[in-house]
Amino acid sequence: MQAGGRARRQPAWHMLASEFSEATLNEKGSGEYDPSFVITKLGAKVNRVIVAGLLERLEVRETSNGSTLYQGQMRDPSGVHYFSVGDYASESMRELTLKLVEKTEVGEPVLLLMTAKSRWYQTDEGAVYTSLRPEEACEIDAKTYALWLTRASEGTLQRMKIHSDSLSAEPTKEGLSAAGVPDHMVEGLLLSRNHYGDIDTENYTLNVMQALDIAEGRMEAASQPAPAPQAKLDDEGSPVESAEDDVKDTLVAIIGQLDQGDGVDFETVLTNAGARGIDRQVAESKLDELSNEGTLHEPRFGWFRIVS
Amino acid sequence: MSEKYETHVSAILSECPEADPKEVAEAFAKYETEFYIPPQDAMRSILRRFKGEQSVPTNKSPSQGGSSAPRNSRKVSRLSELNGEDKDIEIEVEIISHNMREQTIRGEQKQIAFGLLEDNPWEDKGEKTRWEYKDWGPSANLAPGSIVRIEGASVNEYQGRMSLNINQSTRIAVVREGTRPVVAPGEAQDINTLPADGYVCVVGRVLAARPDQIHKKDGSGSLDITRGRIADESGTIGFLSWEPFEHEIGSLLKIDGAQVRTFRDTPELNFGRTTNVEVFHDKNFANADALSQQTVLTISQFRDGARDIDAVVQITEWAKRSFTRDGEERFLWSGQIADPTGRCRMSAWSELPITDDKLPMTVRLKAVRVRAWQGIPDITVDTMDQVEILEETPWDDSLDLTNHTAEVDLHEMATGGSRVGVSTSAVVVSVREDSGFIQRCTECRRVLREGACAEHGPNDGNSDVRLRLVMDDGRSSVSLLTNKSATLALIGMDEGQMKDAVEDEGQMAFVQSLRSLLLGRTVQASGRTIVDEQGAMMLADDATIIEEDAGMRATELRAHWGVS
Repeated sequence: MQAGGRARRQPAWHMLASEFSEATLNEKGSGEYDPSFVITKLGAKVNRVIVAGLLERLEVRETSNGSTLYQGQMRDPSGVHYFSVGDYASESMRELTLKLVEKTEVGEPVLLLMTAKSRWYQTDEGAVYTSLRPEEACEIDAKTYALWLTRASEGTLQRMKIHSDSLSAEPTKEGLSAAGVPDHMVEGLLLSRNHYGDIDTENYTLNVMQALDIAEGRMEAASQPAPAPQAKLDDEGSPVESAEDDVKDTLVAIIGQLDQGDGVDFETVLTNAGARGIDRQVAESKLDELSNEGTLHEPRFGWFRIVS
Repeated sequence: MSEKYETHVSAILSECPEADPKEVAEAFAKYETEFYIPPQDAMRSILRRFKGEQSVPTNKSPSQGGSSAPRNSRKVSRLSELNGEDKDIEIEVEIISHNMREQTIRGEQKQIAFGLLEDNPWEDKGEKTRWEYKDWGPSANLAPGSIVRIEGASVNEYQGRMSLNINQSTRIAVVREGTRPVVAPGEAQDINTLPADGYVCVVGRVLAARPDQIHKKDGSGSLDITRGRIADESGTIGFLSWEPFEHEIGSLLKIDGAQVRTFRDTPELNFGRTTNVEVFHDKNFANADALSQQTVLTISQFRDGARDIDAVVQITEWAKRSFTRDGEERFLWSGQIADPTGRCRMSAWSELPITDDKLPMTVRLKAVRVRAWQGIPDITVDTMDQVEILEETPWDDSLDLTNHTAEVDLHEMATGGSRVGVSTSAVVVSVREDSGFIQRCTECRRVLREGACAEHGPNDGNSDVRLRLVMDDGRSSVSLLTNKSATLALIGMDEGQMKDAVEDEGQMAFVQSLRSLLLGRTVQASGRTIVDEQGAMMLADDATIIEEDAGMRATELRAHWGVS
């Protein structure tokens, strides 16, 4: 017997990047002011998150309509958040963005904490990407970052538990409630089960363990061996270079995800890269490099496949 | 446009169910704008027009219910396939509820049935859609729980809500008799699961009943009514009977077709002509004494508009006030009360045996009512016999309630009522840009926007300090406003240092420094809360950052969740 809250503020989820970026389901109410949600595999119905990590990249990108859009990525132990700051952002957020751009240009490391709205984008090919629109952000010290890591870990562990508890329950609102699923997870879990089916949560456990290692100051345990060296044209190991390696990784991931057996065409790769905040020209040149170094091949002109 | 004529359109529709509400509304508008005929005067003409349109085809095929005249009906299996214009449709549905109502149409009493129906009746766990229906027949074949095939009904769309109109020429074939249990009517619901509005059936024991009068606003007299309260084991709810109510306190009743209405923040059952109240027999039903324990509430449970509630509270302050009404001096007593869940105000219209030297004193309040002022509950005591002085407090009497703050979980705070003397902790997820120095209107203390008050216009204002934050526990959020002393304590500056910071760095940089300090940190705040449809707000007079050790927390988490 409660009054329906129309304009109530949506809560913020403490969430690691892996859970958010693996989500491929969204929900938008029919009303103009209805909030939109990204639904994660663990059943979180996310309109807002509070996330933190290392600011890896922040670049201005001119858009076709003349407005300015900053695109960035922020890394936590589990993966990367993609975010964008446009003219619509608050004054303080835009001011901060300018300062952060300067810092990333000179390669100064920045730990960032942000409260952000979830965004969702689907390409014509059906690939789904999540991203963030920060509302507020600030630089934090490692101590606050460590605190955030424990909270995000706790949130993930709770969701994993609730998710696994819900598996044996009847997939209805009543069934989940009877199984002790808290109210704020019921809808998300129903949607999640419908969309994702059986999921493997092993990865999330590993993410949490690594996050807790960092929070406990056990950085060695949290460190992972560097990825196997790839044949590179030039290897100077500068921060700029490593950002470019990320672009390559992203391109390879996109091609791997979209390849139905015939490879993926040039235009599709570029649009999807665009959705990940990668500049078209950069993507083009990196595609060339990847082909040259033998990571990709072109079975026919303009179609790319991963060399297996 | 349609809204303006809502009552008139529905009056037409009750006579001509097949008429298109939009067309009817347009007709009213045309009458009014082009002919200056007000809607009540246009009623007859419009009724005739739509009645004429409708009666033509039925007159042509007098073979009622026969299959000789082939129907050109649209057969669908799901309600979602229908749109607002569809007429003469055929569908199989389950009747979920069925209520009767009497309506006067052109001076004639007429029975009308209404309720809910549900499509996809054969699939046990399939997706089902519910619509309301109105049966103007009314057909004897509609019974709750039965599955019927409806042939020749029409769809009514009004302000985005779809419903089904069943009229006299509609054929209803019972495909399966009502067998399975359905909720309402006839099936009693637990009182604590009742919806905020709608028709319900409950079985409950009468805990209170007393005659009352409602004075008509237009001064045309008064109505005799009965107010009271009933309870079952799940909860209790107040009622208002518009019909004579002769049942004694303690009687067990089955009440079918009562309407729930929510007054202020409190739902109430309304018994009217179509409500069926009968004595119910159940030897195992809890007795009145056990049930009345439920009406004993704590201050945290007080809601605006609640009546007949009992509580045990401590009176911590008490004073007599006088005021003049109609040239006569009158008295009102009021003060502060508290219990371990919080504090609030109490007012009395008659003198109680309370003197300063006896305070604080513990009392039992019986059948009192709750009003709220600016979100803060205020108990009203009408007569002396509602207050019983207790020798002992039921809680630890070393508790000093005058300054006691109750620790409340953030989610409970956000979803409960407005409270005084509460404290909570949660993570700060937002520091608003207007945190810091503000100017308040010299008249009303409202925050000035660009040097002007919304109420009192431009003025110099008085300088004040406050922060606007949001606390969040992942399920709910509470917006937190800290007053000057709480703000300065929280950010560890005095007013002068704060002023320097803002002047040196600028407001945005100052806000960013607050964010670096507060975002993602747990804050403990205490004060009072105001909860309404917009959400919950806490006005804090104290706030501190909780120091947390991430390493320790991480280790605890590992142990608790077995992650190593």
